[in-house]
Amino acid sequence: MVYAILILGLVAGVPIAIAIIATLLSFMAMGEAPYALRIVAAEMFKGLNSFPLLAIPLFVLAGEVMNESGITGRIIAFANVLVGRLRAGLALVNIWASVIFAGLSGSAVADTSAIGRVFIPEMEKHGYDRSFAAALTAASSVIGPIIPPSIPVIIYALIVSGVSVPALFMGGVVPGLLLAVFLSVYVMLTVKIKPGYEASDLVTKPARQAVFEGILPLLMPVFVVGSILAGVVTPTEAASFAVAYALVLGVLVYRNIKLSSLPRIFRDAMLDSAVILIIIAAVAAANWLLTYNRVPNMLTDWVLTNVDSRTTFLIAVILLFLFVGLFLEGIAAMLVLVPILHPIAVGMGVDPVHFGILVIFNLMIGLITPPLGLCLFVAEGVAGVGMARLTRSILPFFFVEVLVLIILTFVPETVTWLPRTLGY
Amino acid sequence: QTIRVAHVDPDDWQGSKKGAAAQIFKNIVEGESDMTVEVFPAGALGNEDELVAQAQEGLTQVVLVSGAMSKVCPAASVLDIPYMFSSATVAWDVLDGEFGDALADHCLDQTGLRTLAYGETGFRNFTNNTREIRSPADMEGLKFRVQPIPLYVEMVEGLGGEPTPIAWTELPNALSTGVVDGQENPVGVIYNNGLHKLQKYMTLDGHVYAADFIVVSDEFFQSLEPAQQEIVAKAARVAGTMGRAIQQWNTAEGVKKVQDEGMQVYSPTAEELQAFADNAQPAVVEYLRGELGDDAEWIDRLNDAVAQSTN
Amino acid sequence: MALVFTIIFLNSTRRYLVGQSVPWGEELPIYLTIYGVMLALALGYLNDQHIRFSIFVDLLSERVRQRLYAAVDVLTIVSGLTLAYAGHVFALRRGGLDSSGLKSTADRLANATGITALEWVGKLGTWQYAIAIGGALLAVAALFKLIERIKTMGAN
Ligand code: NA
Ligand code: NA
Repeated sequence: MVYAILILGLVAGVPIAIAIIATLLSFMAMGEAPYALRIVAAEMFKGLNSFPLLAIPLFVLAGEVMNESGITGRIIAFANVLVGRLRAGLALVNIWASVIFAGLSGSAVADTSAIGRVFIPEMEKHGYDRSFAAALTAASSVIGPIIPPSIPVIIYALIVSGVSVPALFMGGVVPGLLLAVFLSVYVMLTVKIKPGYEASDLVTKPARQAVFEGILPLLMPVFVVGSILAGVVTPTEAASFAVAYALVLGVLVYRNIKLSSLPRIFRDAMLDSAVILIIIAAVAAANWLLTYNRVPNMLTDWVLTNVDSRTTFLIAVILLFLFVGLFLEGIAAMLVLVPILHPIAVGMGVDPVHFGILVIFNLMIGLITPPLGLCLFVAEGVAGVGMARLTRSILPFFFVEVLVLIILTFVPETVTWLPRTLGY
Repeated sequence: QTIRVAHVDPDDWQGSKKGAAAQIFKNIVEGESDMTVEVFPAGALGNEDELVAQAQEGLTQVVLVSGAMSKVCPAASVLDIPYMFSSATVAWDVLDGEFGDALADHCLDQTGLRTLAYGETGFRNFTNNTREIRSPADMEGLKFRVQPIPLYVEMVEGLGGEPTPIAWTELPNALSTGVVDGQENPVGVIYNNGLHKLQKYMTLDGHVYAADFIVVSDEFFQSLEPAQQEIVAKAARVAGTMGRAIQQWNTAEGVKKVQDEGMQVYSPTAEELQAFADNAQPAVVEYLRGELGDDAEWIDRLNDAVAQSTN
Repeated sequence: MALVFTIIFLNSTRRYLVGQSVPWGEELPIYLTIYGVMLALALGYLNDQHIRFSIFVDLLSERVRQRLYAAVDVLTIVSGLTLAYAGHVFALRRGGLDSSGLKSTADRLANATGITALEWVGKLGTWQYAIAIGGALLAVAALFKLIERIKTMGAN
């Protein structure tokens, strides 16, 4: 009954956070104890009452300042030096600009909108299909939250005690690069460009200048991620340093940001992160109700009696998260499912960091799958080719990403090697 | 019927007194009746204040809480008077006897919560980083983290220390950065949270005996058949005993382990304890008399009960 | 947001330079963020800035869709009001407790300025009230949306 309300609400286009809150409130109001409505408010407050959680709005803010400071252009120029001369150069620049962007930002959506705005028109001008360009942009921006810093990683470490942010950060590096390589290979093998358009002439700056100008922005991830890895600062503090660094670059060095536009930037960052945070609050309240009704225990018991081998379990988890990713925003899915599945995984002998990265990678694929795929939405917003056409274009990329996911699942070393080597 | 049992301690029965109590409660009730017991450990349904509220609303039927009880039934705070019980056995005598029953009836009137049995969180002890404490004079000038509860502030001031209220979550940080010199907690809590690694000295002064209250929503309790009520009441008594036993075990183990790991532990003599009591009690009792109003009679009732037990 | 960033940045810098941080350096930004999130919930509703499924709704005709969205507005008004009530009960229940990190500073502020109202900064309830205020504003935002929609529906 309650779930029917939730699904009906979602289908009818009620914003997810509001749908969850409305469902909880109606459940509590209908139940045995209407005064228990208070619990919804209490759990929402508790869900947000956390210092590590503040890393999220701060990283969103850092990303927003970065975008405004004209760094996107410098990143693209830098990526162009790396891969621009190869076959399908512009498409490759799109992918590898996302890799670099990934080191600056923890959010895939920010990456899609920043890179999409430049690349989708540009790639079309250079003979690529517009819908292909939009699909590639969305698909490659999935790399963003896999390579550190990463908002999903911070949330994951908050949910699961005993898994550290640095270990997960390092665990994401190889998978992120692997995804970039697979996407590049796929693009080089399959892309058809209209005759006469083969060479990328996106950026005409001399290589040396492009590299030189790319260095300042690239120092930021080294500095931010490095200080978190060294254990010198908490992710929240590091995020505040990232904001400060981006502000210095944007306001003082590049002078692309006027002081008068700062209030707007701060306001946008608050609105954008509130979209994530309100879902976290709503899911925290939902989790109380689920716990009260013992749903997690029942799920755990069911899994433990029906799934006997580690392989079956991992495959089941992948399918579950791919399915859930179709309909749920990744962070909400993580908040509900990870507390249940993580202990089971560890009990079955799966490395906690390996499992964490699998879950995050899995859910990030959900960013490009309809009906609810945030990166897909944003790419469509920039490209305007229609959801149906974009969905067809993204399908092959979806398969490439699932292929990488399968590799990560069955070759755990792809995830665990780097953190182990570095001693986390 | 389903009985929801909630507490904020871990679930495992060997290390956690409330975990053990809840599990044995479940086993007895389910074994001897057709009722089902669902245990929600580790604060899954909320913190202690929240659990008390849920029990009052009948949302969660049985809760095991310690400090939160005196917030809804102020008379229960007389149990927190420092140096009131010279040993755990005295506390057990008093709580399992007439006094404990009378307090339970009083709190039932005040809150609608029926205290079925008393478990224990244990005696609290001072630790610090500066010097060994043998007398109140040794506490002079030391900053102690206390819970943000006035009674503890009064107590530490009475002993000559400087009380600093700090939230539990910020305690490890405050100890390692030297914002405070010391803190006070039961041995099990100190060991399980690694506080002994941040502190050099512990004095087993046992200043406050913290009881656990195993309470049931009276509305729910009255809705049961007499036979079911009997089983629930009995299971709670056994659970309280189990909680006390596990707590005692963990304290004895904990004292040994913190010493093995380099902490200096001092056990004060009877005369030294009397000096602590003489310094701490008057301030706290005066404060409590002001706070409790008509309920202040419970201070005298407790004094009488303790005197009789010791005799 | 600017305030949140500034406090966290200055407090962590201070921690590394002086080895000391102020007690309210963690709590205040958290509470400010909670207020920010709850205000943004209403603002986001006004701007249609929320994560929602649009794929099914997109299939509907414009007329039906407008009616559906009007129904969503009504649901949101009711939810917002209920959330405001829930937040009110929640804050009343435990709001009198002190916020450990903010209390002493708030009291000092109140003493220094002579404005006793400032003591409320140190109370948890002041911050817990964010949920109630957010719920109320959400209801107001949805009401505005509904009125706007009815007007355009009437115009068509
Ligand atoms: Na990233
Ligand atoms: Na999706």
